[in-house]
Amino acid sequence: MDSEKTVFYCSRCINSNQRPGLTFDEQGVCDACQYSDLKEKVIDWNEREKELVSLLDKYRSRDGSFDVIVPSSGGKDSCFVAHQLKHKYNMHPLAVTWAPAIYTDIGWQNLQSFRHAGFDTVLCLPDGKVYAKLARLGFELMGDPFWPWHYGQRAFPLSMAVKFKIPLIIYGEMTRVEYGGGKALWYKPNETYEDLKNYFHMNTKGVDSMVEEGLKYGLIDNGDLSSIDLYRLPPLEEAGKLGTEVHWFSYYKKWIPQENYYYASTNCRFKPNPKRSEGTYSKYASLDDKIDGLHFYMQYIKFGFGRCTSEASQEVRSGHINREEAVALANKYDGEFPQEHFKECLEYMGITEEEFRNVVDKFRPPHLWEKIDGQWHLKTRLK
Amino acid sequence: MARIIVKLDIKGSNVVKGIHLEGIRPVGTPEQLAEKYYKDKADEIIYLDVVASLYGRNNLKELVERVSNNIFIPLTVGGGIRSLDDIHMLLRAGADKVAVNTWLIEHPEFVSQAVKHFGSQCIVGSVHARRTEKDHWEALYNYGRDVSGKDAVKWAVELVRLGVGELLITSVDQDGTMEGYDCGLIERISTRVKVPVIASGGAGSLAHVREVIYKGYADAVCLSSALHYNHLSVSQIKNFLKKTQ
Repeated sequence: MDSEKTVFYCSRCINSNQRPGLTFDEQGVCDACQYSDLKEKVIDWNEREKELVSLLDKYRSRDGSFDVIVPSSGGKDSCFVAHQLKHKYNMHPLAVTWAPAIYTDIGWQNLQSFRHAGFDTVLCLPDGKVYAKLARLGFELMGDPFWPWHYGQRAFPLSMAVKFKIPLIIYGEMTRVEYGGGKALWYKPNETYEDLKNYFHMNTKGVDSMVEEGLKYGLIDNGDLSSIDLYRLPPLEEAGKLGTEVHWFSYYKKWIPQENYYYASTNCRFKPNPKRSEGTYSKYASLDDKIDGLHFYMQYIKFGFGRCTSEASQEVRSGHINREEAVALANKYDGEFPQEHFKECLEYMGITEEEFRNVVDKFRPPHLWEKIDGQWHLKTRLK
Repeated sequence: MARIIVKLDIKGSNVVKGIHLEGIRPVGTPEQLAEKYYKDKADEIIYLDVVASLYGRNNLKELVERVSNNIFIPLTVGGGIRSLDDIHMLLRAGADKVAVNTWLIEHPEFVSQAVKHFGSQCIVGSVHARRTEKDHWEALYNYGRDVSGKDAVKWAVELVRLGVGELLITSVDQDGTMEGYDCGLIERISTRVKVPVIASGGAGSLAHVREVIYKGYADAVCLSSALHYNHLSVSQIKNFLKKTQ
């Protein structure tokens, strides 16, 4: 336990050992970097493509009906996956979007661009009041207002798969493999429904554990319960009967987020953020939700590393920047307070600034943070 | 005839090219590409260190020294210039002009200091402009990462009033798209200033180049993607402009 409380960073990228599930080898290289070595030197991407073609051949419709679900935000990754499936592999994708808490202008614009690039999308706009309550519960109970999005973007595509009778679902990247979180899924192209349920709900009852607390505090009431159903995975029997398979495109294609940006820009008129996203230097990743800034800020509070560290680490692994540059960027932008949409997010969740600060401080682990002259500081700085 | 200028965005040892000032995909080396464009009769070359302000560094001096031994057309260098020493170092290394953006946003008085020391002919005001509504553009800095709050057109005019000898105007909306320049932006500025205006961002075809000269009144055109990806060549553009004058 004590070793978990000693903070150190990957010797190649700048991933922090505080990242849940991240492992390191004897040279202090994190598993994401080790995997990127496989991507670069070991994995035969021609063979992987053959596996993809074989998978798609099994599911491709003969009558032009939808044959694959692509969970989508209209972002660069979903543009890449959907466009490749349609135009390179002759599939008939149905994109499925679970709406963010509060759409940004650029996020909505990109979703429209994606649509007008020639894709069908089923968009779920869940009850905004219920979503906001769940965001508040996520923030107060788990230190992350993003939980309703986490639940919904996993559950809703599966529900649509069952409703439309499309067994094949292809997500973008397997985040634990690409960004760090252990080696268990390195060689797996897909997960079963059971895998999904076990990991995602992490021995809790999923959204229902939040709802229980919400009902207790009077934040959630019976009128909200029909909307809550949208956040639940479909019953195992239905998914099983359909033969649902959830695959990751990153298993079949060497995943390079920046290249997905170029692809999406060229093929789907995807536009980056008009300015850099708060907490980082980039403009091309994760743009559609005004509550994003709070989500990454709470990551910084809980684990001592922010959005910039995650993105810069990925860019080191992809070969765009070196470690020194990543350190400079992280020291410049990590933990930047998400001022732009702060007031709107507080109003959205129905909490005051004082309540907000109390919750934030509740989630500061003492082994990461110390207060000096009334100001909080990270005990260990990235070098 | 309008000058044909090639812009090489530099990160470390690579020329990179983004879209909307985002992305650092390598497209070649600064030495190879400068030589290619010099041999193809480019009128000028611009080297822009696109991460200098981001990393708080500028390290184009050695590159400039190497390249200026082989390239005998005017070389403009920009990216992370923050002091008279920076300018002095680059001019001594072989640059003919320097382009400044980020530092001037917060230190506009730097223009007159630089002009006094080095002369307006070698100080280029660089503006990165993003359209916010029909006829308005905002000025960005930090290589398109941060918003200055300044109206880009008014800022360009102000830079000229402060003494810059030339303006390099880049449309963030068009950059890397190869869908044409923002002629409205260029025209707004070039009709309000008396110094040469270099149009940058969006060139993809010969028609685009002609359009920004005749509709945008650009004094010079700057190209990157169209040349780096071999959609056009400098000599092709020059021949076209000669024929269609």
